[in-house]
Amino acid sequence: MPEIEVHDLRKTYPGDVEALKGIEFEVEPGEVFGLLGPNGAGKSTTIGILTTTVKPSGGTARLGGYDVVAQPLQARSVSSVVFQEAVVDGPLTGRQNLELHARLWGVDAGRAARRIEELVRTLDISELIDRRVDGYSGGQRRRVEIARALVSQPQVLFLDEPTVGLDPRIRQELLDVIAGLRAQEDVTILVTTHYLDEAERLADRVAIVHQGQFVALDTPRALLAGLGDQVLEFRAGSDPEAALQALRANGTAGADAFALGARVTVPLHGGPAATLEAIESERLRASEIVVRAPTLDDVYIQLTGTRFGESPGHKSNGTRSGEGDPTQN
Amino acid sequence: MSATSQAAALPLPRARRSRPGSVLFTLAKRRALLTSRTPRQILVPLLGPALLALILAPALQKATGGLHTHINYTAFVGVGAVGLVIPLSSVFAGLSVLVDRHAGAQRELLAAPIRRAYLVLGNMLVALVLAALQASVVVGLSALRGGVFHITGTGVAWFVAATLVFTVFMYALAETVASRVTKEEDYVGATPVLAILPFFFAGALFPISALPGGLADVAKAMPLTHALALMRYGFIDPSGHGLHDIWGMSNVTVEAWLSLAVVAIYAVALTLIAVRVFTRSAVK
Repeated sequence: MPEIEVHDLRKTYPGDVEALKGIEFEVEPGEVFGLLGPNGAGKSTTIGILTTTVKPSGGTARLGGYDVVAQPLQARSVSSVVFQEAVVDGPLTGRQNLELHARLWGVDAGRAARRIEELVRTLDISELIDRRVDGYSGGQRRRVEIARALVSQPQVLFLDEPTVGLDPRIRQELLDVIAGLRAQEDVTILVTTHYLDEAERLADRVAIVHQGQFVALDTPRALLAGLGDQVLEFRAGSDPEAALQALRANGTAGADAFALGARVTVPLHGGPAATLEAIESERLRASEIVVRAPTLDDVYIQLTGTRFGESPGHKSNGTRSGEGDPTQN
Repeated sequence: MSATSQAAALPLPRARRSRPGSVLFTLAKRRALLTSRTPRQILVPLLGPALLALILAPALQKATGGLHTHINYTAFVGVGAVGLVIPLSSVFAGLSVLVDRHAGAQRELLAAPIRRAYLVLGNMLVALVLAALQASVVVGLSALRGGVFHITGTGVAWFVAATLVFTVFMYALAETVASRVTKEEDYVGATPVLAILPFFFAGALFPISALPGGLADVAKAMPLTHALALMRYGFIDPSGHGLHDIWGMSNVTVEAWLSLAVVAIYAVALTLIAVRVFTRSAVK
């Protein structure tokens, strides 16, 4: 039985704001599933529904088999959340925050104490645990919040943008911690992020969310494989769209090539030589030509026509392709 | 949404649940710990009422000659000051709901496998303890400044019952407002209306019989008027002048029960409203 089952989940906020337009996915026990998308894509609404703080407008969602609308207490009892922003009692110590969670999740005091010691070691927070949380740095607070979420040994752990706002070094350390959880904890993880590398590093499968819909769902490797081993990217002169069309007419760019702003990206399903020749022969006045490995950013641009973090109003002149059934594995 | 009709064939893992008593204790313990780390929440509401009992009441007694009855005016105002400290204390406690929402662990608590009504009730338990302590301090200060109290077992029971039930009402009112407003400034702006305005109408400094007819009728509809009359009946006025001013009946015990019932009805109604407003505000 999947730990998380979501079918045709919809949410419309007052003012006819459609945050979710019928998303569909299942997460198997022990899997790390990533929801990848820019701010406003619908990731936090999805977490809100699964943690029963947002009421869906339609569809169903189950955690550990429990319907989040009909059986909210049971659904909450099998899950824990690490929130995007600080959700912690600052005047209390880390240990007091963990003990509070344990009691509310029905873990008896003796078991909670043993579990807390175990997590203090795992997450390396022995220096912090008896200090007031409002004296912690951002990264320290995150560690304690992760420990708190794990005290109750949840079947499902939600990590909502777990590294947002952290400096790069702390972020990398925290990613190591999260990646290490898989080995040490029997837990299914749903992580939302707008960092592409984070999704690639942590998740077994990734759903790319765009304007309340999934535009792709697969393993990071499979998503990248759709763009071949390499992409060739260049800055086109005055008309990137014309350059793209010229390469397509020439046969060196396929339907998966796209243009965004002044740049044209061509997935290479062979070597770069033919494309470089075409750029020369078509006199495309290309500059800043690079050949590199594709990234999830390329996948995202190709599927949505926008770069990460851009509003829909900034849509590119890129060609969108691969729009079959994005939610299928 | 479909509920359990599509439940999987395999048995579901048994969801862990805490007992209600344990949940309430845990939530109250959390609130008590947080309150103990912000002493101003305990001291600031005490300041005005304490000065009222320590300075204003004896000064007014001296200047006006008191109530011209057997009731000691310093004690009369001392109990009246309890009618200020409870609303102020409750409103301060309600502020912590906003702090929880903006900078605390409210979202974590909302994700816990507990009924959300307990979040309101857990906070209320601490508000009750705090109000009881503050009321005791105000009465004690009044006694130190010459207030004359007639303490009996039954009297204490009436005083405690009135204090606790009225605190339930006031805290529920504060929690309701806190759940409705989004900004702390708006909540602070509502404080005079919630906590101070009723004090001037409810016979805190003088008997309501001294009010004009229309205002006296307004006062009789206010829970604070009934609570103060009960507190005085318990501690300083066994003949129940304040209760007679409200009910005009001959049996003071019946009047006391009626006033307690009025405050209790307000308390239960506001608690139900507070729970409903909070749980609705918790879900988008």
